[in-house]
This record gives sequence, C-alpha cells and structure tokens, in this order.
Amino acid sequence: MRQRLRELAALPWLLAMRALDRPFRLLQRGIGQGGMPYFFLVPNLLFFGTFVILPLLVNAAYSLTGGTELFLEDRPWIGAEHFGHLFACGDLLDPATCREDNFWRAIYNSMKFVTLQVGFMVALSLLTALVLNRKIRARGFFRAVFFFPVLLSPVVVALIWKWVLHRDGVLNALLESLGGDKILFFIDPGWAMFWAIFVSIWAHMGFYTLILLAGLQAIPPDLYEAAEMDGTSKTRTLWRITLPMLWPNLVVVIVLAMIKSVQTFDEVFVLTGGGPGTATQLIVQYIYDTGFASQVQNFGLAAAASYVLAVILIALTVIYIALAFRPDAKHA
Amino acid sequence: MADLRLRGIAKSFGATEVLRDVELEVADGEFVVLVGPSGCGKSTLLRIVAGLEKQSAGDIEIGGANVNAVPAADRGLAMVFQSYALYPHMTVYKNMAFALENTRMPKEQITARVREAAAMLRLGELLERKPAQLSGGQRQRVAIGRAMVREPKVFLFDEPLSNLDAELRVAMRKELATLHASIKATMVFVTHDQTEAMTLADRIVVMRAGVLEQIGRPLDVYNHPANLFVAGFIGSPRMNFFAAAAEGGRLRLAAGGMMDAPPGIALADGAKVTVGVRPEHVAIGTAAGCDPFAGAVEINEQLGGESYLYCGCGLEEQVVVHSPGQNELRVGDRIELALPPGRAHVFDGDGKVVRPA
Repeated sequence: MRQRLRELAALPWLLAMRALDRPFRLLQRGIGQGGMPYFFLVPNLLFFGTFVILPLLVNAAYSLTGGTELFLEDRPWIGAEHFGHLFACGDLLDPATCREDNFWRAIYNSMKFVTLQVGFMVALSLLTALVLNRKIRARGFFRAVFFFPVLLSPVVVALIWKWVLHRDGVLNALLESLGGDKILFFIDPGWAMFWAIFVSIWAHMGFYTLILLAGLQAIPPDLYEAAEMDGTSKTRTLWRITLPMLWPNLVVVIVLAMIKSVQTFDEVFVLTGGGPGTATQLIVQYIYDTGFASQVQNFGLAAAASYVLAVILIALTVIYIALAFRPDAKHA
Repeated sequence: MADLRLRGIAKSFGATEVLRDVELEVADGEFVVLVGPSGCGKSTLLRIVAGLEKQSAGDIEIGGANVNAVPAADRGLAMVFQSYALYPHMTVYKNMAFALENTRMPKEQITARVREAAAMLRLGELLERKPAQLSGGQRQRVAIGRAMVREPKVFLFDEPLSNLDAELRVAMRKELATLHASIKATMVFVTHDQTEAMTLADRIVVMRAGVLEQIGRPLDVYNHPANLFVAGFIGSPRMNFFAAAAEGGRLRLAAGGMMDAPPGIALADGAKVTVGVRPEHVAIGTAAGCDPFAGAVEINEQLGGESYLYCGCGLEEQVVVHSPGQNELRVGDRIELALPPGRAHVFDGDGKVVRPA
C-alpha cells in the first residue's frame, strides 16, 4: 500500500521528466550520439561567431579597403596600403617624421602610460598586499577599502576624479584654501598624464592587491618559522623567501596588468579626452577617433591600427599563458 | 651541545589553558620524546622552547642560561618541522646553507659543513636538486641536514615522521637513532606515535591536556605506568582494564570470579579499583591466584610469528590477548582466560596506580 502511494506521488515528476527528455531523444535519433556535444556547443559558437569572429573578419576587410564609405561593397580594395601608411616613418623614434604622426604619438603615449601605470601599480599593490597580510587592526575593513574602486565603472571613476581635479574642483579649492594657486591639471600635458596614470592605478590596484594577497597567504607559515629559526632578518626574508615564493603570482599580475593597461580607453577618454592636444591620447582612443570621431571617418586606417594593437595584445597574452600555465609555476 | 631545563612553564590562549606547570630537565646528549594524543600541548611546548611561541609563565634554561627573552634565532636551537619547511625555490645545498649564510660565515666553511652533513645523511648526489624533485624520505633528511649544519645546542623535532608512509617511517626511525648515537646531540622529539617514542627515546614524557603525566625510561613507563591514562596510551594494543572491588584481601572481578591482589598491594574492603593487564600477560587457560573466566573469540589476528585474540567476555570492551606463534582457534570458539596477579596493575578510583607497600 505504502509502495503504491509512493509510486503515485512520483508520477507527476516522472511525466515531467519524460516530456523534457522527448525532444532530446528525437534529436539524438536524428543526429546520433556523437553529434549531441556539437548541438550543445551551438549557442556558444553562434554567440562567439557573431560577436568575435565576424567582427574580426569584417575588421580585416575594412583594413584592406579604402575610401570613406560604410558598406564594404562600396569600398575599393587597396591591399596593405593602410598598414604601409601607419608604418611610413622617416625615424620611428620621432613621430613627427611619420605620415600618421598621431598613431605613433598614441603608441608612445601608450608605452609611457603602460610602463608607469603598471610599474607603480604593481609596486603599490605588492606593498599594500604585504601590509594587509600582516595581523593589523581592521584588516578586513582595509581589504574592502582597497578593493572598492574595482567595483566602480571606469566612467564613474573618471567623473569622480574630474570633479576633484577640475579647474574649480575639490583639489584646487583645497589648494586655494591653503594659500596656493589653482593648477590647471588638464591643460598641462605633464599633469594630465600624471593624473591619467594616477586615476588608473587608483581604480585597478585593488584587484591586483587581491591576487598578490592570495599569493602571500598561500606561502606556508612554516617557511617563515624556519627562516626565523635560521636567524633571517626581515629584509632578507622578504627578498629570499617572500618574493621568490610570490614570483609566479607577480609575473601573472605584471602581464595581466600590461594587457589591461594597453587596452585602457574609457577612464582616460572621460578624464582628459586625450588632451591637452594629443598628450594623453592612447592607442585605443586613436583608433576610436580615427574611425568614428574625426571629421573624415577613416574606418580602414582605424581597422589597420586595431590589428596592430591586436598583435601587441596577442604577444602579451602568449607570454601570460606561457608563464601562468607553466608546469613549475608553483614550484610544485 | 647543552642541557635544557623547563621550570613551571604555562601557556594560555585567551581563556584556554594549554600547558600547566611543566617541569622538565633534559640532560646534555639525551634523546627525550614528548608523546601524547593530539591537542595535549606537546607541539606548543616544543614551539615555546624554540622561541616561536611565548610562554605565559615559567622559565627556559639552555646550557644553564635563561633564554626567556632570547629570540628564536639566538637560542642556538634547530628545529625539524612536520612539513619539513624546506624552501621550495632553493636547491638542497641552498636550503642547508641558508642559515649559515645569515651568519655571514665564510663560503668555504659553509660548503665544508654542508658537504659533511650531506655525506652523513647520504644527500651528496642530491645537493643540486630542488625539494620538489625529492622523495618524502629524502626531504626529511634534508630537513635534518639543515638543522645539523647549524651545530645547534639542542635539536627539536616536531612530528617529523608523520608525513611518511609506514615503511619509510620505520627506516627513518632507525636513521634517527643511528644519527643520535653518532652525534650524541641533545634532542627533543614530539610525536603522537607511542611506537616512535618507545623505540627512539632515552626518556619518554607522556603528556595529556597540558600536563606531564609521567616521565621515565621507555620500559619503566611501559612496566610501571603512573596512571590509567599512561597505561592505556603506552603499549599497542593497549592494556586491558577490568573493573574490580576489594574483598577480603582479594579482588572480585566484574568479568566474574576472584583473583589475588598483586604482591604487596593491600586494599580496604569494598574499595573500587581498576585492574590492568597487558595483552601479553593475559593467560589462556588458568593462572595461579586467579579464577578463570570465559571468553568467546571475536577476532583472531594471526600475524605469523604472533597472534592477537579479541575476546568478548561480557564486558564493555573486548579483552585482547597476545599469544606467541600461530593457533587453530576460530571465531566463536570459547576459551578460558585468567589474569596472573603478579602481572596485574591496580589503579584506584582516581586512576592513579596503587604501588606495593
């Protein structure tokens, strides 16, 4: 009797499962068991194809065609002319001698930005992680404080700092109240680049601090006790134990930060607009300006420049994968 | 080398008291093993000696000098950790040389010391390898080598064999005993494995809940346990315990029957006691001065050269009987058991051993 009741209670569930199974059974009968994995991959392939592969191909087509027309069928084939235009330089170290001088200015701006932003950001992240790894008061609070900017949208970050750094902003008001003069941060090229780098570090540092903190916490405490018994000074412990043990994480952080830094656009665009002049125009903004924001929208040149950027990013990604997934990445 | 003295050591973590009034003297060149169940405070005591943990009260003297305020590195001790704590990014040579480099010792001297220790521990061929390329036993030897090159006053071992498999543990136990015999260093060794304690120690310190229960030579502790805990902890399989009551100078066993009190032991009539008899002393058949009682064989472990019978005698726990050689008994067979009074230990109501008058 109890068995019958149990079977009766399970009946709706059984019928629902059978109804759900049916289409898959029919499909499997049609395409075979071997075809089923491909069927489940179709949604992802469609998405990836539409938003990644197709734009890549379209972009390639734009880079190899000329004119200002939007539709590819109206654009004449010009081969690698755009690439030739980008690399036509009397002296690669002097953007003024290049036909597309703004491209090379953006490249050099990006190089300066990446070097300083990544260098200082990794150093500060490491320092912060080392401090937060100690048993300090309110450690959880400080961890949250340092991570908080990561949660903000880049545009929000830029607007907050614009409010601080504007001609009549909070910082200038503070300077004036202390008896100083206003500084036009976005008019002076040096200050503009400084604040672009500073704001970018402020916005992203928390993420890298978190990765390094996780790396520090993965170092077995026994090693520090052994070092203490061995009479190792604090400085020597940092150089000989902590940093070598953290090195795999540190390398990943550096390369990851470089990839993100090369891609920087929205924060700096909203904060300085690439100015004054082209002093803070980075490579992605150059592509955007060339393709969409200039009087003559040069889609082809922008597409060619984006392929140059892609080559740089692929090279960095290959380095990242090689370092992050190498077998001895954790001394194991 | 030096002696080690602990005077009234106590340690509390907040309201939790983990060590209470520990008094211990380790003579120069002695091998002392701290043994006890997990959480008894033995590792904490070792870490206090090492200087990695600060005691709440008490004094530590090494070589006659009070080292309470001396940092770990300056106490002249070397410690072998349970996890070995080898630096994974350094070679075996670098691991062993690291502490000496800290002292700015000349390079030639460091090399000589490392090579000498490596030769003694059969690590000569492995000096350029990293810890990940070594087996568990080899890592263990590197950890010992790292301690040896410092020529410490006292070696401290924190459960160094517990990460090894059974076979390797036996091999390393022998190596440690040989090492101690050859360098004659003062060694304090922590373990929860009483076999390690019995085989390695000059003296055993049995600990429970932060208190030293008994200190003595391994066989003294085995033959004359101070209380029920030590009697049960030292020895494998553990000692059999039987509830009993004194009656007319004899003991009435809860298992059934009467037995004589062990020689020299006088008990007041009606006194509730526990009689302890080791498995190898339980007699199959009869024993003078003890009424036999019945038991049914429930498990018969035949190890070839010896056997262990686990018998149900109507008590809460099985009675374990060791018998030399092999036997023909089968599960369910009924046998008679007896407890020879001369081999029995008697513990009072507080669990303390009753000594002969």
